[in-house]
Amino acid sequence: MVYPGALKKLVDMFCRFPGVGPKTAQRLAFFLLGCPREEVVAIARAMVEAKDRLSFCPVCGSLAEDECPYCSDAGRDHHLLCIVQEPRDVLILERSGQYKGLYHVLHGALSPLDGIGPEELKLEQLVNRIRDTGIEEVIIATNPNVEGDATAGYLAGLLKPLAVMVSRIAFGLPVGGDIEYADDLTLSRALEGRREM
Amino acid sequence: MYYLTNLTLKKFRNYESQYVEFNRGLNIFVGSNAQGKTNILEAIYYLSVTRSFRTRRDQELTQIGDQLFFLKGVFLKDEFYHVVQISYHRNSPLKILSNNEKVERFLHIQSFPVVVFSPDDLMIIRDSPAIRRRFLNLEISKFKGTYFQNLKEYQRVLLQRNRLLKENRYNSHLNKMLDPWNQALVSVGTKIIHDRIEMVEDLGKKAQFFFNQMYGEKANLTLNYRCSVGCFEQPDETRTKFHGALSEGRRIELKRGSTMYGPHLDDLKIAINGNNTRYYSSQGQKRAAALSLKMAEAMMLKEKTGLNPVILLDDVFSEFDRVRKEYLLLFLKENGGQCFLTSAVAIEDLLKKTEKDYKVMSVEQGRIVSETGGFSC
Repeated sequence: MVYPGALKKLVDMFCRFPGVGPKTAQRLAFFLLGCPREEVVAIARAMVEAKDRLSFCPVCGSLAEDECPYCSDAGRDHHLLCIVQEPRDVLILERSGQYKGLYHVLHGALSPLDGIGPEELKLEQLVNRIRDTGIEEVIIATNPNVEGDATAGYLAGLLKPLAVMVSRIAFGLPVGGDIEYADDLTLSRALEGRREM
Repeated sequence: MYYLTNLTLKKFRNYESQYVEFNRGLNIFVGSNAQGKTNILEAIYYLSVTRSFRTRRDQELTQIGDQLFFLKGVFLKDEFYHVVQISYHRNSPLKILSNNEKVERFLHIQSFPVVVFSPDDLMIIRDSPAIRRRFLNLEISKFKGTYFQNLKEYQRVLLQRNRLLKENRYNSHLNKMLDPWNQALVSVGTKIIHDRIEMVEDLGKKAQFFFNQMYGEKANLTLNYRCSVGCFEQPDETRTKFHGALSEGRRIELKRGSTMYGPHLDDLKIAINGNNTRYYSSQGQKRAAALSLKMAEAMMLKEKTGLNPVILLDDVFSEFDRVRKEYLLLFLKENGGQCFLTSAVAIEDLLKKTEKDYKVMSVEQGRIVSETGGFSC
């Protein structure tokens, strides 16, 4: 297939997006070509602006513009800390509206295969933060997979000497779902983590 | 009770187009080498499990230079007919129709249980522990949904932990670093070990039962799970011993850069009168031991599904003496399910003695050229 040079470049760029293959990339490119020029400029500007203005909060690692919306919020419980793997996990927890404490984003999980150890996750910084800012309770909400569990286990060991309350987020059945649709492993984890009533 | 009443093969292996009806008891395919006896067993297996027991590549099941094949079988189950049709085309997903309705693969494969024994199964006896672990893994996965997922998780933990052991950048606080991986290894590993112990116990009893039928009461076939951390009745004890082994063996593990304890190193000991069949047994005994495992699987399937699985025996008679052959036929008859077997030598004189209800089909160059036998269904 012979593409005009500029089109090929655009398609190649879209191909770099996660979850976008050559077909979708081509569709996106033709969508842009069909847009009025101002709209294309607005889209491009939004991308650059987001990149320029958003950064990670130096304290908690969440996405922040100028000032971190969580660390600077006096209405939040500053004694409660939730540790998550990725910045998007913060948004998901926020969406639930249930959690009113502070966050700490690790930007990954322990994974020797990928060369990610405690230094890469800046865990020392996290321990200092908990010790120095009067945090009383820590909830570890890393992903329920091999790496997330290992990270949680390692963190629990690190935090033990600090005399803070440490808990791991529960795993189990999706609420509103039917027990018959749960996969075997989720169900067995839910059974292991059952609660007395 | 269920059985396959007839089968149509189109462009499957060396069969251009073949229709054949079966007996509800014993069905025997005879013929010289490379005529297509095993291909029929393969087609029956494919109809139930939607994959072959000989290859993972479906393309190999087509005729040379072709891209498609078609199989149709009519099962009679609980007095109802189930017409199963499978169409394979190289460039499209496998199409499975049951009574003209499209069905999902994973639902289909539970409907018509089948057990196959082929000469390759001798590897379970002869080859390295890895083959026996694979056998156990496959068997347990059939009966326990969480097992396969636990196994996948264990393998992931193992990879991560081994990498950590190989790296030396955490020399100063390696113990602390290994801790969460040890926890995970022991926690998932113990589940795997105990699932296997449970399976080996059940499988062992049933295999022993079958082996006795073949070799008499005095012959003892025993299965033992050999665990690198020791075999204990209670999971708690296994966990403690597993943790102990990891901390005691740390120096060796570091030196070798890999995990030296856990279910990934375990073995299944298959012994006849206490002697490991891998080293001390005749060809016939090896074959009988492997066959016992498969028949035990059939008995377990029967317990679980309430259906007598269809049994496929590829070239099972070679290396067995006459007495063994007769015992085997007797067992199959008493077992009650439908059975298909292939033989390169005529066995009709055997059948007259033990069986009345059977059908013999001779296979020649991808065609069934003659059909004889007792009662037909």
